[in-house]
Order: sequence, then C-alpha cells, then structure tokens
Amino acid sequence: MELFTNGIGLSAVVFFPLISAFVITLIPKAQEQLIKRFALASSLITFVLSAILLFQFDFSSAEKLQLGNKISWIKSINANYEIGIDGISLPLLVLSTFITVLAIIYSLEHLPEPKSPKGFLALILVLETGMNGTFVALDLILFFVFFEIVLLPMYFMIGIWGDKTVRTVSGFKNQIETRLYASIKFFVFTLFGSAFMLLGFLGLYYRGNKTFSIPELIELGTSGAFTGTFATLVFAVLFLGFAVKVPMWPLHTWLPDAHTAAPTVGSVLLAAILLKLGSYGFVRIAIPILPEQAKAWAPAIAILSAIGIIYGSLACLAQTDLKRLIAFSSVGHMGFVMLGIASLTPIGINAAMIGMVAHGVITGLLFFLSGSMAHTYHTRDMGRLGGNMKLLPKTGALLGFTAMASLGLPGLAGFWGEFMALLGAYNPLDGLNTTVFRTSMVAGAIGTVLTAGYLLWMLQRVNLGEPSDEWSDKDLHDADIYELSAWIPLVILTVLIGVFPKLIFGATNDAVIAMLSKAFGG
Amino acid sequence: MILPRKSKYYVAAFALLGTLFSLAPLVIQWANYTSPIYAFENSFVVDKFSIILKGLFILITYLTFLLSINFIESDKYYQGEYYYLLLSSLLGALIVSSSRDLLTIFIGIELASTPMFLLSGWKKGDRKSNEGAIKFFLLGVLSASLILYGFSLLYGLSGELVFSNIASYLLSASLASSPVVLLSAILVISGIGFKISIVPFHSWAPDTYEGAPLPITAYLSVSSKATGFVALIILLTKVFAGSGSSWGIILVIISGLTMTLGNLVALQQNNPIRLLAYSSISQAGFILAPIAISGITGDYQDGIFASVTYLIIYAFMNLGAFLCVHLFSNYAGSSDFYEWGGVARKSPLAGVLTTIFFFSLAGIPPLGGWFAKFVVFRSLLGSANSIGVALGVVGAINAVIALVYYARISKVIWMDELKSVNEDKIFQFENPLKVVGVFTVLITFVSGIFPGIFSYLGEVSSIFFGN
Repeated sequence: MELFTNGIGLSAVVFFPLISAFVITLIPKAQEQLIKRFALASSLITFVLSAILLFQFDFSSAEKLQLGNKISWIKSINANYEIGIDGISLPLLVLSTFITVLAIIYSLEHLPEPKSPKGFLALILVLETGMNGTFVALDLILFFVFFEIVLLPMYFMIGIWGDKTVRTVSGFKNQIETRLYASIKFFVFTLFGSAFMLLGFLGLYYRGNKTFSIPELIELGTSGAFTGTFATLVFAVLFLGFAVKVPMWPLHTWLPDAHTAAPTVGSVLLAAILLKLGSYGFVRIAIPILPEQAKAWAPAIAILSAIGIIYGSLACLAQTDLKRLIAFSSVGHMGFVMLGIASLTPIGINAAMIGMVAHGVITGLLFFLSGSMAHTYHTRDMGRLGGNMKLLPKTGALLGFTAMASLGLPGLAGFWGEFMALLGAYNPLDGLNTTVFRTSMVAGAIGTVLTAGYLLWMLQRVNLGEPSDEWSDKDLHDADIYELSAWIPLVILTVLIGVFPKLIFGATNDAVIAMLSKAFGG
Repeated sequence: MILPRKSKYYVAAFALLGTLFSLAPLVIQWANYTSPIYAFENSFVVDKFSIILKGLFILITYLTFLLSINFIESDKYYQGEYYYLLLSSLLGALIVSSSRDLLTIFIGIELASTPMFLLSGWKKGDRKSNEGAIKFFLLGVLSASLILYGFSLLYGLSGELVFSNIASYLLSASLASSPVVLLSAILVISGIGFKISIVPFHSWAPDTYEGAPLPITAYLSVSSKATGFVALIILLTKVFAGSGSSWGIILVIISGLTMTLGNLVALQQNNPIRLLAYSSISQAGFILAPIAISGITGDYQDGIFASVTYLIIYAFMNLGAFLCVHLFSNYAGSSDFYEWGGVARKSPLAGVLTTIFFFSLAGIPPLGGWFAKFVVFRSLLGSANSIGVALGVVGAINAVIALVYYARISKVIWMDELKSVNEDKIFQFENPLKVVGVFTVLITFVSGIFPGIFSYLGEVSSIFFGN
C-alpha cells in the first residue's frame, strides 16, 4: 500500500469529497436519485480511505507524524503543502469522515426545506474537505485555508436550509428570520477570530526563520525562539481565533443561534466536528509552539472553561427550546474539554481528546434526535412535547440513552472526558496555580451535577408523562430506516468508547505525552 | 469609425481581435527577455514589470469589450467611438506602465483618464450619468493640475525630466527629503489620489460609477485604478524614494482611513453599484497599505510585490462582481439589490458566480482574494514596525466588517423569497458574458489555490527596483 505511505492516501481523504462535490454540481438537478447515491458513495469511499489509513497507521509510534508528505506550494512565501497525521489528529479525522457518512445517510430522505438535494449534498462534501484538511494540515497557511473553507458551506447551510421562524433581535429594526441572523453571526464571529489568528501566524513566520511549517515551529518554540510581549500577543490572537470556534465563554454567543437555526445535519456537523477545529488548534498549534505562554494563560483558560461549564448548564436549565438546550449543553461540554487542555497534563489533554470524540458522537446523536423530533412535531417547545416515549417509542428510547451518555454515565463515552478532565484539573502541570485549578475543578464537578439535572429534567418534560391532546389525531412517524441507520452506529460507538476507552487513548496517549514532554520537559 | 453604419457589428469584432493580437508582442517580449530595454533617452522602458502590467491592462480591456457588446447594442449608443475611446484609454495605461520621465507619465495618465470623462457620460439621456460625468470631469481636471504642479516643482528644482536623473540630482544636491520635494510628493499623491479614489479624494466615485454605463464602471474601478496605482508606485519609488518616511506616514493614515470609511459607507448601501464603488474604495486602502509601509521601511520590493499582486487579483474578481451585478440588475430590472430576492434560483450558474466573486472580494479562502489580503498583511507585519502592525490590525478589523456587506448580496439572491414579478422572466446570460464569467472565475480560483503563480512577481519587482 505504498499509495498510503507517501501522502496520496491522506490527500485523497481530503480532496475526494471536494472533487465529488464538483461532480455533483455537473449532474442535472432532475436526477435526484443519482445525486443522492453519488454523494453517499463518495462519502463512503472517503470513510473507507480513512479506515485504510487507520490500518496503515503505526500505533507503536503514534507520536510521530505519519503517512504525510511535503510539497512546495507557494514558493514566494515558503508555504508548503505539508500534511500528516499523528495520534492526536487520527481519531478526529476518522470521526469526521464517519459523521459525514451518517449525515448523508440521514439526508437521503430527510432533507430540510427547500429540498434541493444537489446543493445540500455538495455543500456537505465541501464542508468535509475543509474539516479533514484542517486535521491533516501541518503548515499554518494550509491550516488557515482549510479552517476557513468550512465557513462558506456552513453559512449557506444555515442560511438556506435553516429555521424560518421570524424573531426580534435587539439591534435590528425589523423582525428577522432566525436563519438569516444566525448564519451571518456565525460567519462574522468566526472570521473575526481567524483574521487575527492569521496575523498571529504571520508573526510566528517572521520570528521563526520564515517558515509556516508546524513541526519546525514547534522545534523553534520549544527551544525558546518566541518570548516576551511578542509571544504574549501571538498567543492572545491564536487564543481568539480558536476560542471563538470552540466556543469558550464569553465568545460563545453565536453557537446557540447557529445550532438552533441550522438544519438537523448542519447542527450535527457543527457540533460533532466544527467545534473541534478550535480545541484541536490549541493542542496542535498554540500549546506546542508557545508552551511558556500556554502556561501563563492556562489559569485564565481554566477559569473561562469553569465559567463556561456552569454558565452552559444554568442556561440549559432556563431553556424551553429543545435544540437550544442541546446547543448550550455543548458550551458546557466543550468547557470540560478546554479545562482538560488547560491543565497541560497528559491526563487532562487525553481527557480533552476523548471528550472531543465523545461529544462529537453523543451531541451529534442528540442533534439528530432533536432535529427529527422537531420535524415530526413541528415544534421544539418542550412545554408542548411530552409523552414522547408513548408517541415515538424508538426515538424516545434513543433520546433517553443519549441523554444518559451526555450526562457522563460511567460505561458510556461521555464519562471519560468529564471525569478525567476533573482529575487533570485537580493536579495540573507543575508550576500552575493549584488553587485556581482546584476551584475550577469544583466548579466543573458542580457542573456535572447541573448537567445531570437539566438532562434528566429535559427527559422528564419530553419523554415521560402523558402526550398532550394536540397530538392525538396527528399521524406521527417514528424513526424510519434511514434515521435508524444513521443513529445506531453512533449508539454502538458510544458504548464501545465507554467500555473500551483505549480505542481513543491507544492513539492519543503517546502523542499527547510526547507533545507535552517536548513542550514542558520531563 | 470609418466603417459604414450597417457594419457596426465589425467594430466590436475588430476591437476584440485587435486587443487580443496586441498580447502577442508581449508574449514574444516575455519569451525573449534578457534585460530591461530603454528607449527615448531612458524615458521609456520595457522590463518584466511593465510587460506583466501591460498584459493585465490588455486583458482587462478585452473583458470590458466583452461586457460591452450586448450593452452597447441594446440601446442607441455610438459604437465606433465607444471602442475607440476605450482603446485610447488602454494606450494611456500601457504608456504609464513603461514611462520613466515626467512628461511621458503625465501624458499616459491623462490619456488613460480623459476618454473616461466622455465614456462615463455615455448614457446621454440619463441625469445621473450626466451628473457623474461632470463631477468626474471637474475633479479630473483638478487632479491633472495638481499632478502638473507637483511635476513643475520637480522640474524647477532639478531641470530634468527623466526620473533617474531627477533622483540622482536630488540625491547629489541632498534635496531628497527637502520640504519642496515633499510638497511635490503630496501634490502628486493628491492628484493621483483622485484616480485611485482614496479618501479624501474619493467623493466622485460613487456618483460616477452609478451614472456610467456598467462596463465603463467596471473599467473605471479596475483599469483606471490600476493605472493610477502603477503611476503612483513608479513615481514614489523612482523619484520620491528619498522622502519615503514622510509620505509613508501620510499614506499610512490615508490607507487606514480609506479602508475604514469605504467599508462603513458600503454597509449602508442598497444599490449594488454604489456598494461596489465603496467596496472598491476600501480595497484601494488595502492596495495602498504595502506601498505606505514600504515608504517607511524602505523595503520597496516587498511592498510592490504585495500591491501588484493585490491589484491583479482584485482586477479579475471585481470585473466578475460587476458582471454579476449587471446580470441580476438586468434581470430584476431594479437597482436596489434587496429586490433581487431568490433570483439565484433562476440561474444557479450566475448565483454561484456572484457568491464566488463577492466572497473572494471579502477574502475568504480558497478564493483568490484571500491571497491578496494575505500578502498585504504579510508585508505589513514583515516590516516589524509598530505602525505596520497597527495598520495590519485595522486591516483585519476591516476585513471582518467588509464580510457583512459582501455576504449580504449572496444572502439576498440565495436565501430570500423570490419576488413574484420575477417569477416568469427568462434569465439572459449571453455568451460573451459567459466568457467573462468563466475567465474571471478561473483566475479567481487559480490564484487562490495556487498562489505560487505570483512568485515571479517577487523577482520582477526586484528587477523593477534594481534599475
């Protein structure tokens, strides 16, 4: 399998979806079945390619960047097409190709209005290229380009297929449709972060021997090339770029709007993959290149994460909208991920890695379920839902299961990320202020209780009780085969990761330890 | 003009072929290039820098002709004169890119802009067209006199016309950073500032753009602007390099103001042409930024590389944007783009093109605009100068503001409801326009995905500055 060792396989995982998207635009609109089959096939092929990578990957040296390549790209600025994967990026890459397949399966029969499968499926595939590319890029400019490519498809997905409810938004004279407000807000927030991130990349380039290569910059960074005010400023702008994407409190305000407005598949991809681009950026770029600054900023990140956890849970308790509740729960879960990262210990960052995957799987599934329910009931108002177990037994059962996974029930995937993040925060890297971290840990622990609280309350309001009379004469469809085939794999994955967390740690552990020992010594 | 009236059709064909053929000598020159060739006692030069710019000007004019064909035939316009005047303007632009003395460059600048006074008033019955043309004419004359006054100071000081002689005289008489030279530089910047519509010399642009025939507006915002920038780059680096730190500061302030003001006003627009007018003002601020910083740091090579790269990418994506505006305003019969709700569904091709060009203008990867913005940021931060970094931050904020109005057009055409009046109309997308669309979209994509093709410019700008 030489093709996979010289980077061609990895490039194929990145660009195959893009090429397929282009082919889809050439298929006449009337050939809907052909378009759908083609999109499904290409997402499956991409997933198979990434699975082959999984077998080609040498897990015994997971800390090394593998299966990549480096080709000159923009000579005049010394930016290269440099790609590769290690134990940190591999799980996320596979997650991304996997979730895309499920998203397309779900879309085969459940396209949001206005249908138009051609545009929708093409956008999903373009999105996949951006996501996969971000996880394999080892050059800052390449990373930036992929990081930004995801914006356009998501903008259009929310804006065209999103929620058409009219609402009043402060600052707008007239009422505005949710989708229009949410889509531009998502775009502007992210671009604001990444515009400054680009300035930070340029700063690293000029101080770091005019290279954009991430491995080279890590070497320079760990040997102390970036210091003083310069490094503080660069870390600040990188923080801005990544924290908006995660999103960390108080930069999270785009997220509830975007999630609520996005079509089901859009929410799934947004929660499962797009948010990870930010936390991945911290682990891949910000911490290894600027370790001293990461250390200086870690307490602040921990405090913001703790606030995010508490704030997210409290906001959930106040929600009446099912999708918005899940969106705010993302703020809380990503708070755990960032708390783990802030501890700068192997256990904390491993927790963040498994937390990212688990959040992708579980929250992805929650958005699938809530989207499907919103479609069936034509409302997301939890006050009107109720007795879902009786009306839609399959969906209801899955919702119950996923909520348990999301609140961190031991034995399911969500447990490891939360538990180990708290463990990491209890005992952060030497030299970090333990008081701050232990306070954050306590806040996080309170957060887990609150999380359990709002999820159980949500189940009580939605799943249990007697159905209200308004549904009695309606013909409600429970999950069909397309939905189940998109959801069951996620259920299996949730259990598998919960029981065998080594599935993730086996890849990430060596890479995380190597990264940290390089950055902080010992 | 000598052709009989019934053979008007040939005029367009002849003009198109002529422009295309004029590319041939450029290609030959490029292929056989060894070193800069000087003519007329060093006042005219053929180097790689000028060859590339000439290629750019010819291509822009060619695309403008393609844009014009249907437009000119759609109404009773004078055809022969139209093409003749555009070609004259092209000649002016070609002269500017090679000129190395005061007279030649002045003739070039004026030859490039004078025909535009007439062309911008081409819609004779239209009040706005007349108003715009008058404004343009009056300010154009003012700008010419400012440039001339600046030149006369230089000539009075040195008694020389050729740039290299002036520069060496100023250096030997240690006048290079004297107040008189600075005054001359300011006058020249102000004069050319009108051509490139930078703040505070921008006020004519929106009115003239709105009134002029659309192909002419496109040409004004691309070719005239490029001509002005090339003249400015040549003059600042060849003549005024000695007082760089003084005009550098002035240009930094102008550049920051131009980006910001253009953007803020563009946010308020509902007329697509005025929106593009203000957007092009804001883009001019970005093009100016590297030149401004290079004045302060003295690293002209990097500044010129960034500005020229930006100019080239901007030219094609902006032409594309005008094409899309032309298509949709024709279709919806309205110059208020909020009336264009859902029109992309009538022609997904035009809708996709619009999206690509406008997001490219906003600088979203992988479209060409990102590389343009990137090289500008690169040269600003590369100066390792706090002024440069500050201007970079201003630019970054502006890039985000700009997204709001660039995205708005895509939002309207894709996401809003189709207006009932537009439901039964047939979308017209003529073949010449398709050529423009395909050509510009290709360049927009290629320059975004393989920006390596601009590498040669780095070398070229070193050649330019080496002589």
